[in-house]
Amino acid sequence: MRALVTGANGFLGRHVVNALLARGVEVRALVRPAAGVDTLGWSPSVDVFRADLRSSRDLGDAFKGVDVALHLAAVVSGGEDAQFAGTVAGTERLLDAMAASACRRIVLCSTFSVYDFSSTRGVLDEDSPLHKTPDVYARDGYTIAKWWQERVTRRFAEEHGWDLTVLRPGFIWGRDHGYMAALGQQFGRHHLVIGPMTRMPMTHVENCADVFALAATDPRARGRTLNVVDGPGERIWTYLSDYMRGSGERGLRVPVPYWLAISAVRLAYATVFRRATKVPSILIPRRLESRLKPLRFENRRLRETIGWTPPLDYEQCLARTYGPELPAVVECDDRGRERALLKLSDDQALRA
Amino acid sequence: MKAALIGAGAIAKQHLACLQTLPGVELAAVCDLSPATAEAAAERYGVRSWFTDHRVMLEKARPDVVHVATPPTAHFRPALDSLDAGAHVIVEKPATPAFEQLETLVRRANESGRCFVEDYNYLFNPAPQEILRRIESGEFGAVTHVEAFICLDILGPGGFADPNSPHPALKLSGGAIADFLPHLASLAHLFVGACRSAETVWTKRKPSVLPYDEFRALVNAERGTAVLGFSASSQPDAFWLRVYGERMQAAANLWETRLTFDGPRNVPKPLRPFFSGLEEGKTIRRAALATLLRKFKGPGSYEGLWDLLARTYRALGEGSAPPVTANQVLEINRMVEALKPKEQRA
Repeated sequence: MRALVTGANGFLGRHVVNALLARGVEVRALVRPAAGVDTLGWSPSVDVFRADLRSSRDLGDAFKGVDVALHLAAVVSGGEDAQFAGTVAGTERLLDAMAASACRRIVLCSTFSVYDFSSTRGVLDEDSPLHKTPDVYARDGYTIAKWWQERVTRRFAEEHGWDLTVLRPGFIWGRDHGYMAALGQQFGRHHLVIGPMTRMPMTHVENCADVFALAATDPRARGRTLNVVDGPGERIWTYLSDYMRGSGERGLRVPVPYWLAISAVRLAYATVFRRATKVPSILIPRRLESRLKPLRFENRRLRETIGWTPPLDYEQCLARTYGPELPAVVECDDRGRERALLKLSDDQALRA
Repeated sequence: MKAALIGAGAIAKQHLACLQTLPGVELAAVCDLSPATAEAAAERYGVRSWFTDHRVMLEKARPDVVHVATPPTAHFRPALDSLDAGAHVIVEKPATPAFEQLETLVRRANESGRCFVEDYNYLFNPAPQEILRRIESGEFGAVTHVEAFICLDILGPGGFADPNSPHPALKLSGGAIADFLPHLASLAHLFVGACRSAETVWTKRKPSVLPYDEFRALVNAERGTAVLGFSASSQPDAFWLRVYGERMQAAANLWETRLTFDGPRNVPKPLRPFFSGLEEGKTIRRAALATLLRKFKGPGSYEGLWDLLARTYRALGEGSAPPVTANQVLEINRMVEALKPKEQRA
């Protein structure tokens, strides 16, 4: 099996490449023309394909011999328009090229952001309501772009009869990405912790990558939409403590009950910020809810559909995020296929 | 009046958001090569229909006014087709990469009795308008010189200097800076008139895909002189406008609300700098607050575009001259031509 991975050198993508190799899948890694890949430690067998989804004309070649596409590419920085153009129009260009190829299987990296947290009560799962138009346009640029990316991909899949799997990860964390928006609001090195006892929908990047590799290879994932979280998640206060300990940051943590924060923001929004053009996300009620609303999260459908359990537990994830860097190890199995192994430290190996 | 827009990217939002607020204007159609981009714009701004081919849009929607907001190198064909379809055209700056194309558009507009307006939004920001008001009242005195200088970091990732996906503006003579020349030239033209001659310096300070990242020009114009500039290295970001009159001087940052005047005072001459400084400080403090509050409402520094569009639609409704005339567009673009790097002029 050969897989095309877009956004392959991104935070998640580089781990997805290794996870696919570990499952014996050949990988074509689509990266931008100026992207550096030498430091990623990829196996020489990885076929690096350089193109920019926003402008490259030869995307068709990327699909030659490809059985499954894992579409992870998205623009996550810059203004709302840059994110929309890069993420959505880029996806249109990619899928136009896929439609002209023999590839009929795609796994899309969506996000929890497509859910309407404001309308959700209790548990957020795959049946929770999604944003609707035109309300979605009141959200941040990332949400608008990812919501549209999923919409566009579903339309293409329906039109061309593709097997589509939509994976919606929660907050992805890992080395150099230990801080998550769900932790509240940072002021310099100090933290306003909104709803400190709330559990966060989190997935460690290596666990998340394992889900993508499994979904790409497991026929049971076809046609399914699955949320990706490692479990019920850690409490904000707990993880923030681990984050500060791991990163060596020093600062105050000021806890604020969620109900107090959302009430204050709703009042400020109704009286001052409604017509504002440049206001921090946290001062807009619907955006605050999507980051911090105390809901419960679970991965029941992921477990039941493709039998996934996270390869790394929370302690191991902490060690891999804040401990000494341990490169992935690629070795050949008895049939000559390359396998990337998660290398555990001695301490982790003992506990395992 | 039925309005349509071609090119639903970044600046299009300002056009659509403004049009939503104008009385008697119906958002009839939006067009973009990306179906999702067109559909999203239509959903967001309540536009009746969306298209991916501007010719089909012109045929089916039959707009009275077409806004062309595609990348600058892709303005000409949709603008020409819109004029041929009988619509007035409001085009984003720079109107065309080559002056000959602009002449063709203006000629076609004149032949068909339609308006052709290029977006010189900063002319309609409050600061230039207030300076203009004082000039017209005689309070400012005749303008002898104007300076317009943009400091903007365009070398960061994802923008003009993106090494992965060449920005369309890089196809313009002068590269990314050419995208800003109409702003500089329109302000110079407003205060000192048409260009007679210009001396320019185009340089590159930092490694990037841009051909140039610094620009200076000295313009000899009909009613005075102008010094224009762009710096990708000077920080912080600012758009400075300084106008020198025979009785007063004005200074404004067009990306903020700061506007100060210095002129004659009824105090002994040695005390004039003291009182001027006090008043300038007070004005700047007020402007700082206004700049902050502006973020909480309205279009921010695009307020000039909103005013330009409102005036244009009012004029079209009344059958009077638009706030930017075809002759003005030609004169400003002649200045832009004179500012372009000599070896690359189209």
